[in-house]
Amino acid sequence: MSFTLLIKSLLRRKVITALLLVQLALTLALIANSAVLAWQARQLANQPTGLTLSNLLRVPIKPTLPELRSQPALGDLMERQLSAIRAVPGVVSASWMNQTPLLFGGMNGNIFVIDKQDTTNIGMVPYQLGSVSMRETLGLTLLQGRWLEETDVDTEVIVLSEQLSKQLFPDGEVLGQQTSAGRVIGVVSDVLTQRYADHQNYAIYLPWNMQSADYGYQLLVKIEPGQLDRVREQLPAVLKAVELEVDIGTLQSFAELHRTLFRSETGLAALLAVLSGLMLLVAMISAYSHALFHGVQQQKEIGIKRALGASRPRIMLEVLTESWLTTLTGAAAGVLLALLLQQQLSKVLSMPALPWYLLPLTVLLLLLCVSLATWYPARLATRVSPATATKTL
Amino acid sequence: MQNFSYYLRLSLHNIKRAPLPYALTLMILSIGLGVFFSNATLYYWMNRDPLSEQSHMLFFPRINAVEQACDSCLTPLRVLSYKDVQKLSSSAIPSAQAGMFQSGGYARVPNTQNGPTPVTIRVTQRDFFTLFNAPFLHGQTWADNEARMELILHYNAALKFFGRTDVLGQQLLLDGELYTIVGVLENWQMLPKLYDVNNGLAITPVEEIYLPWETAYNLGIKSNSTTQSRDSRNYNENFAVNGREGEFYQAQFWVRLDTPAQQAAYRQFMDNLVASEKEAGRHPRPNGNLLHNMLDIAEAFNERNRQLDAFAMVSVLFLLVCLFNASHLSLNRYMASQFEFSLRRALGASRLQLQGQLLTDVLVNGVLAFILALLFAVLMLLLINQLLPATSALNNWQPGLILLMFGVALLASYLVTVYPAWRASYSPLNQQLKA
Repeated sequence: MSFTLLIKSLLRRKVITALLLVQLALTLALIANSAVLAWQARQLANQPTGLTLSNLLRVPIKPTLPELRSQPALGDLMERQLSAIRAVPGVVSASWMNQTPLLFGGMNGNIFVIDKQDTTNIGMVPYQLGSVSMRETLGLTLLQGRWLEETDVDTEVIVLSEQLSKQLFPDGEVLGQQTSAGRVIGVVSDVLTQRYADHQNYAIYLPWNMQSADYGYQLLVKIEPGQLDRVREQLPAVLKAVELEVDIGTLQSFAELHRTLFRSETGLAALLAVLSGLMLLVAMISAYSHALFHGVQQQKEIGIKRALGASRPRIMLEVLTESWLTTLTGAAAGVLLALLLQQQLSKVLSMPALPWYLLPLTVLLLLLCVSLATWYPARLATRVSPATATKTL
Repeated sequence: MQNFSYYLRLSLHNIKRAPLPYALTLMILSIGLGVFFSNATLYYWMNRDPLSEQSHMLFFPRINAVEQACDSCLTPLRVLSYKDVQKLSSSAIPSAQAGMFQSGGYARVPNTQNGPTPVTIRVTQRDFFTLFNAPFLHGQTWADNEARMELILHYNAALKFFGRTDVLGQQLLLDGELYTIVGVLENWQMLPKLYDVNNGLAITPVEEIYLPWETAYNLGIKSNSTTQSRDSRNYNENFAVNGREGEFYQAQFWVRLDTPAQQAAYRQFMDNLVASEKEAGRHPRPNGNLLHNMLDIAEAFNERNRQLDAFAMVSVLFLLVCLFNASHLSLNRYMASQFEFSLRRALGASRLQLQGQLLTDVLVNGVLAFILALLFAVLMLLLINQLLPATSALNNWQPGLILLMFGVALLASYLVTVYPAWRASYSPLNQQLKA
């Protein structure tokens, strides 16, 4: 078997070969880029959140009467709801908060070190208001100083997340410092607060009561492992028994919130994976039918070769080699196309560069699929008996 | 006509003779078209012009009016304050203008047993309905922009609360305040909802209740999407004063500028406004005036759905792959029937008659591929809506859209068939017949 002959035979069918090559190249480009996007979505979804997602529950509450939305009725309502929730078996801890970590939107503001506004101002930091118990509910670890206490309520003291404290005070002197939001008394471990804030781990914890709940508030409940579903079913009735004039939103576990947070990325990745699968299928169909047609057309030629003593495996190898050759040529063009597509996609999406090992891997995958699809037609071609094939000569 | 039915029979006969290659070709073509159709549907709804008759005249002005000095802050905020809206509406150039924001609340019909029902509210001014062509079924918009305890209902809200639409003069209790209904809109929708793109609300339904702007400020009703305060006022107290005088940003503002001359004049007005504010010491930030046209608004607020854009790009590529693939397959298929083509040429069929046969093939392919592709597109849309829930409002097929898709299917099937058939019909006669 000679490569020159193979290439000559391919060149005789210029258009068919060109169509096949273009299609293989596009397939490779798409699969490589989908893989990168899927990998990126996975990375995003798997980054640490600092929260125990499986045992936290969020209950969005909105009082339907304006009186209930402002103090002092609001504080009283929250207390009544929280003590009712804490009495439910399986509940470890419960707190109110103005906004839930992981969710976008809500109360954000700027913060800077007093007298150093020019150099330290950070534009968008989540202001987390809540009961003193929120440290226990969210599972925050105290890293420096102390946590908020009941006596701090409505005073000008704050606790920072670690990431924010490092940004504001790079030299490490944090405790007792004055910021535009209050005096720092402690630093706690990071959680994923708001994905689109200046940094997703920034947070200021404040001991303020909510003045009003125009947008509602959240009750966060930490539950013993394995009890979440049971408590979730009970809570609406428990809360309705406390106060009828509230609108209880959909109860969601933090695991669900976390899935929602990256849904557009994971969704796109899944969609591209489906598309890549379809492309591979299309490539296989085309390889299959190409080999089948070509085999039929070349029946005579194969018959002569067999008559002249070519063994079956040799004919088989020949058919397969042809499909490998086209696949590899198409893949070479596909590598260029993949880089080009990555360039175009990164204009609309934030997308990392293609890792070097991905392209050879995709080529290998393509080769495998094509070989698999060619195998059956190749076997058919070798079955031709020399006698029938050369009958019309 | 007789010819056509003959061609049709021949076409079907050819399919029957080699069903597997044909089915494969058709399958590849319809998978490609199906993915393309599903994506084109989303893309169409996402990017269509919802107000083609006047979208080119609608503009969103922004001024950089935050009263904290900051030389590097060149872009105005995404939302406007009460003062911004007041200043920007002091011009007589626009033929219509309205400040607005979305809010939410609980409504109930007084003296009934029904509990409070959550509703979406748009706080706005009288020109809103002119700006966005919201048609009235009953009643009309407010007489002026003053505060009044009057609201306008959307068709759906009227049905939801009263079970009928003719409810002018009826009363509705909204967050504890009693309002009189002065207008009911028709069952109107705007998709995408371009007037509230800066809060990412472009594919949500239009609001159920419309409330006067000044009334909302009097009662302390705020936006439930983006709000920003840039001073130390307490906006939970005395919002009627604080909300109007303070730096509380929450609104959109739209103007209609009918002619390019008016647009230029309005730009000039904005420049003059900022200059005089600067003179009065109320505009410490650099001049950052912007006037966005409605059709550029998603881009301006960086609110395009990037996932859909990327998917659009990829699905066009996928269609290309499928077209190449299908034409490769059909080339094989026509090559196999080359002998028959040559025989018919030898018996005196003209090339034109062969072309007729070819076009019939295209038609048959096109129709079959279209039907299969629609089925596949429905499946794809279901999958996409499942994976990207934000797109679930976008999967509506209008007759025009379907017709367009049919055209694309025919074109695709023509492209796939034309070269192979041409090759087959032009092959040398005697060489073929010899074998």
